[in-house]
Amino acid sequence: MFIQTDKLTHIYMQGTPFAAEALSDISFSLAKGRVALLLGPSGSGKSTLIQHLNGLLKPTSGQVYFNGNPVGGSKAELLKLRRRIGLVFQMPEEQFFSESVYDEVAFAPRNLGLADRELDHRVERALARVGLEPALFTKRHPFHLSSGQKRLVALAAVLSLEPEVLILDEPTAGLDPAGRRRLYTLLDDLNKKEGLTLLIATHHFDEAVALAEQVLVLYKGKLAMDGSRNKIFSNREELVKLGLALPPITEIMHDLADSGLPVNRDIYTLEEARTEINNLKGSGKNES
Amino acid sequence: MSPSITLGQYLPGNSLVHHLSPRIKIAVLIILLILLFSLQNFIALAVMFALVLMLLAASRIPLRYFIKGLRPILLIILFALVIYIFFTKGGVVLLRIGSFTIESEGLRQGLFVITRLLVLIILSLLVTLTTTPLSLTHGMGYYLKPLSKVGLPTEEIAMVMAIALRFIPTLMEESQRLMRAQVSRGADFETGSIFRRAKNLVPLIVPLFISAFRRADDLALAMEARGYRLGAKRTRLHEDVIATRDWAALLFVLALLAVSFYFKL
Repeated sequence: MFIQTDKLTHIYMQGTPFAAEALSDISFSLAKGRVALLLGPSGSGKSTLIQHLNGLLKPTSGQVYFNGNPVGGSKAELLKLRRRIGLVFQMPEEQFFSESVYDEVAFAPRNLGLADRELDHRVERALARVGLEPALFTKRHPFHLSSGQKRLVALAAVLSLEPEVLILDEPTAGLDPAGRRRLYTLLDDLNKKEGLTLLIATHHFDEAVALAEQVLVLYKGKLAMDGSRNKIFSNREELVKLGLALPPITEIMHDLADSGLPVNRDIYTLEEARTEINNLKGSGKNES
Repeated sequence: MSPSITLGQYLPGNSLVHHLSPRIKIAVLIILLILLFSLQNFIALAVMFALVLMLLAASRIPLRYFIKGLRPILLIILFALVIYIFFTKGGVVLLRIGSFTIESEGLRQGLFVITRLLVLIILSLLVTLTTTPLSLTHGMGYYLKPLSKVGLPTEEIAMVMAIALRFIPTLMEESQRLMRAQVSRGADFETGSIFRRAKNLVPLIVPLFISAFRRADDLALAMEARGYRLGAKRTRLHEDVIATRDWAALLFVLALLAVSFYFKL
């Protein structure tokens, strides 16, 4: 398995009166090239879990594996790991500190010790991958961009590591609908065209769900559900119990199916729903 | 990078010491410090040390918090002891190494000074460990109030202090988050020369400042929206009530001070 955790437990501030168990006994695995969603209400431990996957946090007990090797060890090994697993924090544009988009995107590869020419190359490639024309953006001030562009630059600043896995924490927080669509189209491309493995942690998943193959649900620090997307979303009652809900489109398809209409329940995009409902109308006419 | 307890940070508890009014706690601390520095008698100091240890036990705060708090000043304590032992002469010669002598007066004074330091630190830690920063600020604001007669904006000073204290944990959390984010991008905050490390801090400090300024703006706006005006009279949700036990504590330490003055201890 590509990414795997084994009985991962994390206790914050252990040994003090503030000790709190953030994660308990989490075991899951994610195959290479897959897209997984990590769902759960606020405070369920999503951010804590993903920070273990690239070795930022050390488990109190249990183990994380990447590509079969245990995560941890020397600083050099951790750096090597972090260039393969890119982690995009929540509101990543809040980390900006440079005076040009170039420097911001070049920060990560520069930390890897790459030479100038390779650096130029990486920055251009990263910006192009997020759909920003390098010639137009490298010299601009990152603080003067629109919020959607800032988010894309922040994503490029992690893609410049050229990781194999991209882990994103609430990637669309604070974006407008157009920005959200653009970001998910981009993530879909990164996965389908370039084979990046994606893990997206969010509680705002109506759009993300269209890309997902696997879904993990965290609840109060425990892994409450883990399975294929269709399997997880077929269990509406359990999801509601865990403080979540079906995406509105899927909810409607479930309602239609429950009322006896011959429709597919596993529908996650407006496009699919439209086709499905049009088919229904067609078959209805044929009968009458 | 694991989150750790800040030195002297408030620890929630339910002891008598926790429940004392902050105003009284500050007064008691000041009186005990006056007592501590006026005592000249070794036995009286030992009695006071024992009393402070009893207070420490009454607070029911685990001993390791005090030990942790003492660690940074251990060097100063040892240094003071060594200076006194070697350089203060008088009394009986206890040990002779070449031309150096250790004499009983030096040992006595050295022990006296370090006991004083220990009591000082334990008392201060006892106050900060058992009082929330907010009530501590309110307590101090109370004693500053007379200064408002000479034009000092004491209410505002107390507010500034309260806000500063309130945001320390927030900023600590923020800096930790930022640190992890930049470490994910390959940043290194732990190795290299001092200059290199200072330069490496830029990716941490710039975003931290930006977010602090943004927070300050938001806070100012939110406070004004809720009717905060400079110079306006403010009331408190939880009035600081001085109960019988508070008066008893105050009277007790005053009596100690009176006794020590009367007998010139």
